[in-house]
Amino acid sequence: MADTVRQRPLLGTFVEIGVDGAGPAADAAVTAAFAEIAAIHDLLSFQSPDSALSAFNRDPMAWHDLAPAFRRVLGLSMLLMWHSGGLFNPTVGGQLVARGALPPTGGPMPLPFGQLGDFDMNGNRLRLKRPLALTFDGIAKGFAVDRAVAIVRRAGFTSGWVDAGGDMRAFGNSKLRVRRRETNGSITRLGELSGGAVATSVVAPQVDERFPGLTVSAGDNAPAPGAWTVCARYAWQADALTKVAALAGDADRAALLNRLHGALIAGPAVAGAA
Amino acid sequence: MNQFNRNFVFLAALPTLAISQSVYAKDYLSVADARKILFPAAQTFLDHKLTITKDQKKAIKDLSGVRQRWDDQLVWRAEADGRFLGWLVVDEVVGKHEFITYAVGITPDGRVIGVEILSYRETHGYQIMEADWRNQFKGKTIDGAFKLDEDISNISGATLSCRNVTDGVKRVLALHQLVLMDG
Repeated sequence: MADTVRQRPLLGTFVEIGVDGAGPAADAAVTAAFAEIAAIHDLLSFQSPDSALSAFNRDPMAWHDLAPAFRRVLGLSMLLMWHSGGLFNPTVGGQLVARGALPPTGGPMPLPFGQLGDFDMNGNRLRLKRPLALTFDGIAKGFAVDRAVAIVRRAGFTSGWVDAGGDMRAFGNSKLRVRRRETNGSITRLGELSGGAVATSVVAPQVDERFPGLTVSAGDNAPAPGAWTVCARYAWQADALTKVAALAGDADRAALLNRLHGALIAGPAVAGAA
Repeated sequence: MNQFNRNFVFLAALPTLAISQSVYAKDYLSVADARKILFPAAQTFLDHKLTITKDQKKAIKDLSGVRQRWDDQLVWRAEADGRFLGWLVVDEVVGKHEFITYAVGITPDGRVIGVEILSYRETHGYQIMEADWRNQFKGKTIDGAFKLDEDISNISGATLSCRNVTDGVKRVLALHQLVLMDG
């Protein structure tokens, strides 16, 4: 159990941070980690009209200079898009807007989804070749968790965790007993997390109060409903791979996740049985 | 739910009723902790507890769109060397599924310094359906079972919305503007 455990409302959910230390230094490190998460949110939130992502999406075919974290998340997203054969796709913003899961961009109505060839990159500058809307909702929360972990480690704390409502990462000697909230509200014991990350995404048939997110496909394959839990070394990976898990075919899901350096901890079988 | 689980809920019916009132609960900070975190430079915190009048409640609702339910509001004035640093307001929100106590630090001109959760309680009957409920009771007395709340330290799954707290902060900012700034 960590000596300092705090929770703040961030990223539209409750973020908990624990570190193996107490006192002003630990408090300052945790406060700085929360601030970093808030900064990532301010940069990459689709919902917030003031974010850098929203500014990009209002005019996606013009050149934009990207902030370092934006550039990093974009790079990771494109890598994963390539290696997952397009199952992970950060260009599905248009489809999410059309289905009411995300607010309108404020620009012209974007196409439902795009492909890797739509990205036109020049150093830290980006434009899209077609009117698409980028969304990092499948990766940014995990990325924010990783950045928060980096902040507290840099401050000298060797063990701890960050839990952002379903996306969590433990480091050092911290061990987290992880349970999963199923789609029917029941809770299943999953196991213990240490030295890595775990993420759960719920594929709901439609958007509602309890399941505000939507997983959509950029192809013919429909996402398999239920809760998908994946572990990986980094939280951004675990977060993004839950979407790959939901969209992959039953036959090659496990192998694909392994190839992408993740592992399926639990699919929707438990929820489906209840 | 399969046959096993149904039997199991029946067997565990008594303790379940008691525990399901607070299925997932966690205490994070005391008010004193939160004061230190939100105002690390402050030396004194002057008690400034407010009693909100009916008219003020209405004005708060009109300004923030959120209803002020309580008559009393815990407020402290943070100072260092006689310098006014800001307000610390302790507030509660009751959602459909949760009961949350939090502290918000506000600068004298009404900007949010930070929001810290003091305690978080989920009031859902989730555990009634918990698949591994029986395991929870192995080797535990009923006293031990009540501590299960703390045992469930981390839940990965459907993201819980923090909108109640966001609305609460909006209401506290309206209270600041209408009551604290004028007073």
